[in-house]
Amino acid sequence: MKLTLQIWRQPSAEADGNFEIYTVGGVSEDMSFLEMIDQLNRQIVLDGGEPVAFDHDCREGICGMCSMVINGEVHGPIKGTTTCQLHMRSFKDGAKIVIEPFRAKAFPVVKDLAVDRSAFDAIITAGGFITSRTGSAPDGNAILVPKEDADQAMDAAACIGCGGCVAACPNAAAMLFTAAKVTHLGSLPQGQPERRARALSMVQEMDSQGFGNCTNERECEAACPKEISVMTIAQMNRDYLRASIAGDEA
Amino acid sequence: MLGHLKQALSASIGKKAWMAVSGLLLVGFLVTHLAGNLLYFADDDGSIFNAYAEALSSNPLLPIAELILATLFLAHIALGVRVSMENRAAREVPYHAKAAHGGRTTASRSMMITGLIVLIFLIIHILDFRLDPKAHDDMAGAVQAKLSSGRGALTYGVGVAALGLHLSHAIASAFHTLGLNHPKYDSILQTAGRGLAVVIALGFLAFPIYIYFSGGAA
Repeated sequence: MKLTLQIWRQPSAEADGNFEIYTVGGVSEDMSFLEMIDQLNRQIVLDGGEPVAFDHDCREGICGMCSMVINGEVHGPIKGTTTCQLHMRSFKDGAKIVIEPFRAKAFPVVKDLAVDRSAFDAIITAGGFITSRTGSAPDGNAILVPKEDADQAMDAAACIGCGGCVAACPNAAAMLFTAAKVTHLGSLPQGQPERRARALSMVQEMDSQGFGNCTNERECEAACPKEISVMTIAQMNRDYLRASIAGDEA
Repeated sequence: MLGHLKQALSASIGKKAWMAVSGLLLVGFLVTHLAGNLLYFADDDGSIFNAYAEALSSNPLLPIAELILATLFLAHIALGVRVSMENRAAREVPYHAKAAHGGRTTASRSMMITGLIVLIFLIIHILDFRLDPKAHDDMAGAVQAKLSSGRGALTYGVGVAALGLHLSHAIASAFHTLGLNHPKYDSILQTAGRGLAVVIALGFLAFPIYIYFSGGAA
């Protein structure tokens, strides 16, 4: 396969960026999208240029590091996959592909396609945890969890924190990410003591990081590589409003 | 207490919740407004419609109701503008290639535009019927005179169509914002929200369409 790539190049966070056009040949349709970028970078380095910086780590769809907006689609055109799980057979030979970084004020570009998603770490630090006694491991069946609650928590826990929801949201809101964490912990007995305070403090931190507001357009759900449901957002809204009405403190 | 209220109004979900509550109360007003208006179609030369208009405007509690309505409108608009400005600021650099694959619709995309059209229409509507003393002598006649002209019918048609588009996203969205949604009834909520928007829009559209094409003989 031979492809024409239009890639966002930006030397540093402070520098201005612009699109560069590259032609990359020798691409196999069995390559992942990231391996195709590796191929391009090999070509760029051999030509004495600066390789394209991009985020990646596990390359098996579980770490949440890879990003990229491919032809306007977060993580590319295949539903429920990360960029590393996207294969070149999803593209036609000779195709032109536009590759951009995730765009959000709260996710500043570090270099080229790599963005700083520390804002998510701040949201997790604000309340994405439970309080537990230390000491020996507790008996696995000491606390019973209804199947429905376990399923709901597990579905929400599938979030890998990649930030695709923010990138796809027309308002760059972080509601789906935050809601996934709030729903995951709030659905389990172990998460109950901090449930209301958690919703308040995580939303407060999300707001202070400069994300937008939710307008219920469900672009996040469609783009999410783990297919987290926007029903988690309804759940978080419930927890948040209940805590607000009860006059709880974050 | 005040700090708590301030925080609820500055938080993203707090602002959205107040927008949802004010919006849903305004939908309630629209339903009663439409129900009252439909008296126009009674086959009695507009006498029951005029009696209804007279009963409303002579009610001593009307100014209080109007004050509450105005507050709801202003709160809804102010919060909407603020949320929209924050949303614009949250993405400084737009995407070069654009593709939407989620639930983004013409209605959800144009909430600010349809909201602005409804606001302009509302001002015209209040000037036409609420603040014009001549209209209060014969409300049915005033409605007929206004909507039998092409310009009047078009103004009301566009205003109401914008309202319908606004509501088709707004109603279900408001429930979701208030946390009143669940996978078990999400599809019913979406359909019911759009359905109510269509009923309200068609109900109000009946006036300019019927009066313009019939020359106003109610």
